[in-house]
Amino acid sequence: MKLTIGTKIYTGYFLAILIIIFFGLTAYLNTGKLLSDSKWVTHSNEVKNNITSVLSAMQDAETGQRGFIITGNESYLVPYFQGRDSIYPILKKLKGLIIDNENQTHRADLVESLIEKRLAEIEEIIQIRRSKGFASAESGVMTGTGKKTMDSIRAILAEMTREEDILLANRSSKMEAVTHKTTSTILWGIPISVIILALIGFIITRNVAKPLRMVTRTAESIANGDLSGSITSSGRNDEVGALMQSFNKMIKMLREQNQEILKGVNIIASTSSQILTSTTRIATGSAETAAAISQTTTTVEEVRQASQLSSQKAKNLSDSSNKVAEVSLKGQKAVEETVDGINNISKQMDEIAQTVILLSEQSQSIGGIIASVTNLADQSNLLAVNAAIEAAKAGEQGKGFAVVALEIRNLAEQSKQATMQVRKILNDVQKATNAAVLATEQGNRAVEAGVKKSAQAGEAIRILTESSGEAVQIATQIVASSQQQLIGMDQIGMAMQNINQAGMETSISMTQAEEALTNLHELGRKLKELVEQFKM
Amino acid sequence: MKKEIRSLLKMRAVSMAIEPELKRDSSAIIEIIEFTLAAEIYGIESAFVREVCILKDFTPLPGVPSYILGIVNIHGQILPVVDLKIFFNLPEKGLGELNKVIILCDDQMEFGILADDVKGIKTIYREEILPIPPKISGIGEKYLKGVTKDRLIILSAKNLLSDKSIVVYEEVNQ
Repeated sequence: MKLTIGTKIYTGYFLAILIIIFFGLTAYLNTGKLLSDSKWVTHSNEVKNNITSVLSAMQDAETGQRGFIITGNESYLVPYFQGRDSIYPILKKLKGLIIDNENQTHRADLVESLIEKRLAEIEEIIQIRRSKGFASAESGVMTGTGKKTMDSIRAILAEMTREEDILLANRSSKMEAVTHKTTSTILWGIPISVIILALIGFIITRNVAKPLRMVTRTAESIANGDLSGSITSSGRNDEVGALMQSFNKMIKMLREQNQEILKGVNIIASTSSQILTSTTRIATGSAETAAAISQTTTTVEEVRQASQLSSQKAKNLSDSSNKVAEVSLKGQKAVEETVDGINNISKQMDEIAQTVILLSEQSQSIGGIIASVTNLADQSNLLAVNAAIEAAKAGEQGKGFAVVALEIRNLAEQSKQATMQVRKILNDVQKATNAAVLATEQGNRAVEAGVKKSAQAGEAIRILTESSGEAVQIATQIVASSQQQLIGMDQIGMAMQNINQAGMETSISMTQAEEALTNLHELGRKLKELVEQFKM
Repeated sequence: MKKEIRSLLKMRAVSMAIEPELKRDSSAIIEIIEFTLAAEIYGIESAFVREVCILKDFTPLPGVPSYILGIVNIHGQILPVVDLKIFFNLPEKGLGELNKVIILCDDQMEFGILADDVKGIKTIYREEILPIPPKISGIGEKYLKGVTKDRLIILSAKNLLSDKSIVVYEEVNQ
């Protein structure tokens, strides 16, 4: 058969669907009948209720009438009013309900007229009671017409009820029959359909499952590594057949590919081991290079620091030399000022010397004057002595003269004293002048020495300035060369860093390559293992 | 100033109005010229002193003993000057002034002696002249009259003037 598995399955499902539809229809129909039947049952019950309501309403009216007749109290007429008011709507409703049943309708009409009559009777009695009192009312009731009407009403209502009961019984039995039929259908139908469906299912399954199992087994064996088997094609044209054919093709393909992979894996293995050895060698070389570079870098750093230090020192030297130059300039200026000061002192000394010389001359002239005064005093003294001698020679006559001579001698003495004092003062002045001259002399010598010393100091400072200037120049040169050194060192450092960087990168890429190669090698090995698992 | 002059004049007038004191026997007093020579004070009788003058220029003579200083011109008169220090062999006690000449004269001899300073005339009593204690002065006793309690050595002018050893008599060959 050219049936595809799909068609087969669809057929099975179709059958199942048919059965379901069948059951469904049955159930639906029966349920509908049941529903309508139950509606009719309800209907009948409702009719019966209405009939009961009619009766009860009439009874209410009667009760009211009775109460009123007995008591004459208007309040006892309430049930009568209630009944009277409600009876007609109920009748109308009842008539509506039984409108399909001719018999019942006829009866309802009868009842209605009777009810009318009865109500009229009741009303009449009530009026009698109202107007004529109890006894008249009682007699009216005692006629028995009311009772007869009521009995007729009752009888008709009972008939109606009976009819309805009959109808009820009919419908109930019909419902029972329907229910029975449904039950039997289900009871019989289910096992039969179960059997049919089971059969169909079994057939289909066998049709589909067996070849699938076969295919699964083959797949299982392939999974376990056995590519040698193949599926015998049963010549079926459905999906399973197609599956089996494709499966066969797949097996063949897998076998061929496996062989190809095996060849390739072998090549990979050998190549990767070769590359691995060379990468390892490169890696070692890179490590050595890196070590050498780091050493060089450290050395470069040290040299750099040293040159920085020397540059710093040279700068310090330059600074201090500058300071020295400044200081020596100041010193030179100070020396010049000192020399000027000393020259001033020298001039002052000269002036002092001049003054002293003047002083000396003056004292000399004073001395001359003193000498002449002393001379005069001496001469006066001698004169006095001579006069005394003459006076002595003169004898008595010379006494007066002797006094004069004595006086002259006194004067001479006084002037001599005075001159001696002056001479003493002059001596002191002379001594002081001499001391001043000596001091000036010493001062001059000191000035000369000072000038010489200043000249020496100036010379020394000049030499100092020169040498500090030289030192500044040298320091500047040192600084410049240190800067160059630093720059060079920096460049070397950078180059080293670059080399280091490159080396590190090489190292990293080598490591990565090594890793990759190892992975590749591993992969190749695994592939080989995998491939070798399969039996060809 | 006027007050001072006036007081001075008054003093003088008073002193002049004073009677000179009673003298003793004129032969009991001697008037001597007091002079210093080589840090010693000497005195010589004023009777034999003609004059005292300042030594200005003296002319040294060759071929005379060393105690002869030379000759001087006093008021046109040529007189020899004797250095008593050398004559008496006095030890040099330092430089004096040596600018005074005391001219001694008597009937026969007349010469000057050097003095440092002439103090003046002093009147002393003969009794005050005491004999010389030996070893005080190097001058010979012959020339000394005595010494006063003030250590004033009185020279004998008479003996000096009549001393033969002073006379120099020499001829100088041409």
